[in-house]
Amino acid sequence: MAMDYALLQAVFIPLFASPLAYMVGRRYGMGAATWLTFGVLLYCTVLIIAAAIDGGAEERYPWTQMFGEFGLVLDGLASPFAIIIYALSTIIVLYSRPYMEHKFAEHHAADGSSQTQIQYVNQKSGLYFALYLVFAMGMLGTILATNLIEFYVFFEVMLIPAFFMVALWGDGNRRKISLMFFFWTHVGAVVLLLGFLALGFSAGSFDFAAVSDAGLDPDIVLAAAVAIAIGLGVKLAAFMFHIWLPWVHGAAPTPISALLSPVMIGIGAYGIFRLIVELLPGAFSELAVWFHVWGLVTMIYGGAMALMQDDIKRLLAYSSISQMGYLLFGIGSYSVLGLAGAEMMYVTHALGKGLLFLMAGILIVRVGTRSLSQLGGLAGKMPITAVCAVIGALTIAGVPPTSGFMGEWLLFYGALETAINEGSTLRFVTFGLGLVATALTMSYMLWMLKRIFFGKLPEKLGKVKEAGWHMLAPMMVLAGFTIVLGIYPDIFLEQIVPYMGGVVDGGIGVEYAGALEGIPSPIDGGAGH
Amino acid sequence: MVSHEFGAAAAWLVWIIPFAASLAMPAIAKWQLRPVGWAAIGAAALSAIMAASLLPGAISGSEVHDQTSWISAIGLEAGVLADPLAVIMANVVAWISLLIVIYSTGYMKGDPNIARFWFWMLFFIGSMQLIVLSDNLLQVFFGWEGVGLASYALIGFWYRDKKKDHVGQEGRRVLGMLDYYSPTHAGMKAFVMTKIGDVMMLAGMFLIFAFAGTFGFRELVADTAWATAMSAEGLLIPAAVLLFGGAVGKSSQFPLNEWLLEAMTGPTAVSALIHAATMVKAGVFLVARLGPLFFALGAAGILADQFFEIVAWVGAITALLLATQAIVNPEIKKVLAYSTGSQIGYMMMALGIAGLSEQFADGYTAGFFHLISHAMFKASLFMAAGSLLHIVGSRFMTDMGGLRRHLKKTYLFMWAAGLALMGAPFITTGFWSKDAVFAAVFESGSTWAMPIFAIAVITAIITAFYTTRMIGMVFFGPKSEHVKKREAAGHPIHEAPLSMWVPYGVLAAITIGLGIMGLAFEESLHDLFAEYLDGSFGIHAAHYTGDSVLPGFLSGLNPVALGASVAAFAGGIGLGYAFYIGRWVSPARIVNSNIVFYAIHKLFLNRWYINASIYWCFVVAPLWLARGVFRYFERTAIDYGMNTGFERAALWGAKVIQHTQTGVTQSYLYVFGAGLLFVALILLI
Repeated sequence: MAMDYALLQAVFIPLFASPLAYMVGRRYGMGAATWLTFGVLLYCTVLIIAAAIDGGAEERYPWTQMFGEFGLVLDGLASPFAIIIYALSTIIVLYSRPYMEHKFAEHHAADGSSQTQIQYVNQKSGLYFALYLVFAMGMLGTILATNLIEFYVFFEVMLIPAFFMVALWGDGNRRKISLMFFFWTHVGAVVLLLGFLALGFSAGSFDFAAVSDAGLDPDIVLAAAVAIAIGLGVKLAAFMFHIWLPWVHGAAPTPISALLSPVMIGIGAYGIFRLIVELLPGAFSELAVWFHVWGLVTMIYGGAMALMQDDIKRLLAYSSISQMGYLLFGIGSYSVLGLAGAEMMYVTHALGKGLLFLMAGILIVRVGTRSLSQLGGLAGKMPITAVCAVIGALTIAGVPPTSGFMGEWLLFYGALETAINEGSTLRFVTFGLGLVATALTMSYMLWMLKRIFFGKLPEKLGKVKEAGWHMLAPMMVLAGFTIVLGIYPDIFLEQIVPYMGGVVDGGIGVEYAGALEGIPSPIDGGAGH
Repeated sequence: MVSHEFGAAAAWLVWIIPFAASLAMPAIAKWQLRPVGWAAIGAAALSAIMAASLLPGAISGSEVHDQTSWISAIGLEAGVLADPLAVIMANVVAWISLLIVIYSTGYMKGDPNIARFWFWMLFFIGSMQLIVLSDNLLQVFFGWEGVGLASYALIGFWYRDKKKDHVGQEGRRVLGMLDYYSPTHAGMKAFVMTKIGDVMMLAGMFLIFAFAGTFGFRELVADTAWATAMSAEGLLIPAAVLLFGGAVGKSSQFPLNEWLLEAMTGPTAVSALIHAATMVKAGVFLVARLGPLFFALGAAGILADQFFEIVAWVGAITALLLATQAIVNPEIKKVLAYSTGSQIGYMMMALGIAGLSEQFADGYTAGFFHLISHAMFKASLFMAAGSLLHIVGSRFMTDMGGLRRHLKKTYLFMWAAGLALMGAPFITTGFWSKDAVFAAVFESGSTWAMPIFAIAVITAIITAFYTTRMIGMVFFGPKSEHVKKREAAGHPIHEAPLSMWVPYGVLAAITIGLGIMGLAFEESLHDLFAEYLDGSFGIHAAHYTGDSVLPGFLSGLNPVALGASVAAFAGGIGLGYAFYIGRWVSPARIVNSNIVFYAIHKLFLNRWYINASIYWCFVVAPLWLARGVFRYFERTAIDYGMNTGFERAALWGAKVIQHTQTGVTQSYLYVFGAGLLFVALILLI
């Protein structure tokens, strides 16, 4: 029952609604802007979900002669990404309201503006939601793009509003940090663009399909793949390219952190799936093991740095780096289930980290601090927040029945499967170290929970109250969903696994297919009969 | 005989009911606090009845196996497998849980967070039964982590970290590490430490799945081609040992044993249920689940001896290691916790030795029989200890003393359960099960039989000693200052309420009652398991049929094992009596009399320095390393090097360019001319 132009609507309605949100915010106040934004995004989310249930969608529109077609595709790879991006964007709209109101009021007091507070808040909220809508549509567009240039354009579109939101309403040295954000991700994007240009000009078209069919010179392909990997590595904040992330995710307004950190940076992983795994399988077969090791280093490094943080949001930011390491690790596993697990990890990380950032926001608004050393014993004061945060932490730590486990086990199993098939000692070692890194993840998560919610309640927190429903309802939805997905992962796996199976059968190198013979693979129907 | 459909439904409901009830708890509590306890009792009882309804089928040797689709994207199914092993275990878990739930209504009375307590208790029962009844490893892992989660939440139940909820002596340090733990710290420690075991288990599961393409227990038995392939690659033993790693973590075996002591920060009802009777047995159960599978491969010429050797030795080492520490600890719950780990060591020892012997069923039955009897007497002891804590208001045995006249019932029940732990001959279940373990080890014919047997006997002496010590310190001698102060302050010592003493009384009574017919019980268990092992795994067994030298009702017992266990009991209780009940000799004087005794005492009291070493190596050192990397790499190379470095470079570049903007027309023209000249030159050449 998918509607005509469903994908086109889902991408462009938020864009056109953006100026509307600005005006509504100015004229009718923050509540109206909130609900308008919420309504628009909810409608688009429903469109996406309906299209996904329908088995995906594909829309192609004429564009320029030079670049190729403007296409939007929702397939087994894209739909979990797309659904999570829009679903999270939608519910965080609600959360934004009390948080940003708090933030605007702070700014109003600091600015000494001549407007009344309500006027000020309304005006700023219009701007906020206008940017918010563009940010969301940029992310979705990237996921649905079928053309290198189209991908690049959307990739940059999502950067701009994010930059402004950090610059305008961030914490700390926000101007400088937002510039840092813009600068580094843009540098990454330029490297990415170089890779795209190399591919596009040698293939004669920028359409994914054309690039895939072109039969390019392997050297060019490899060089382009490396450029793409570096460009996306910056977005992913993989080790050594993570410079910007702790600053930006620490400073961004919390609802935006909750989108940036799990959802936006994971688009880097999406890019690797789409552009390298699917489009350039030859290069992927050479790069896979590097991704694997890079992922492992990122996992451990991010986790170790998270242990050292006192600022909750910075801790969560380092945790995101570590989680992106898991994604890279899974991509590098070079097997169907490992790749499927990596995509599951994206979904589950979005839920878990979203929950934890929302928790951080509640602490900022209700307690007024984000320093772990000043917190403690809050479980009794804010029980619902505490329960949701625990579920979020367990999701990140990969404890069943949260969805985290469903991502993690597939990912690690995939890594092991390849290690066995290739008889690779290196892969056995990375597999083992990767599993050990999950204990590290668990440690910093539990330690964080302990320092926030358990132990003695500092005296000055005696009057802290639970947050309002605007903030709690989004958390409860996410917490509920992570458990549902953990018990019944078919919701996404039914789309992901066949897609990954297709990529592996059709694309990934021949020697791999040969190695599979002789060992019954669960994919080939060995399991459960 | 129940129908198969009903059996399948019951097997599902055994674990679904507690889960569903746990979800209902907060809602009921929101409505009214009073009925929450009753609802919990009702759910636990219903689950227990479901478990009991499976019993007739299991005894007749049939099994229930029911599956439903689960992760269809990769062809995995969820299912229940109620074979004799699972059904017996499920009943042990269900009925002991029920008694402890009843006890908890008294123990936790008046706690404002009672809904949270019940949520996690029922969540725990559901998860535990999920482990027991699952038909595949992946589903077991859900239960596995579920019990871990419940354990984490309940160890840290009193999350405010008040002084009275800590364990250890305040300010005491071992190798510089504080030996004094708050509930939240203890919960975290337990979860992270068992996680190490869990990742090993995952690795083992994955290895098997990679070759077999299934997690199902029945599927793994039905077609063992996977084992041949794995054995050819040399991966079978590693996989088995990795799976055992999960059991080591969960069952608190060496070297992952240190979390169990701190787990005593939880409410005592929790210690009784999770950290004595059920969860810590999950590891034993896992070995009992998988052991026959690996042993049966022997028929195909694939030997897993190394696996069984590791199991047996880990069990033996743990049994001795933890028993020695129980001798010296002043906290009653910690003594019982050490004892729990040590007794589980016996179970592991028996299961391991089973695989090294021709008579697999002997060791197997012995291990499992010990699991059952230990679950009963240790749950009883823990509940009684909880009652003491409740009455006396202190966890230290040195704060008790002389209580036998005031607490007649508790005194009696603790003796009964304590005698079972000591292995008092002929009247306690503990005696028969321990004797069975001794006999299995002694008769196994393994090269390791004698050293392990020796360890088992020494441990039994120590066990009898520390149990007597515990009873002596609590009930005999003069009243402690603490008790006197309490009485003076108007808190007379009196027995705990009915809901508390009845459960441990019942278990103590069963321990003795079952003990009197212990040999008959053991034999029927043996027959059941022999049939089960034969039917499900093709492991043929013949009961020990050597010429019996013992008369009458003892015929069939191994005289050496019997002699050893009687002697160990007598020796241990005799020593304990001399020191702590008769009080003829002061233990302090012995310890201080010479340097060797003093050193040994200190070694035991400081937990063989294992705990402190673990903290140094796996907490302090990594944190130190992470701090170093954070300071000297992340902060300098990444933050300053890249960010600030780039900023400086850009500023410097800007300055250079800025200097060229002189505003003097002549110099611009000069550069322009030079450029033109340069272009012209290039064109000309």
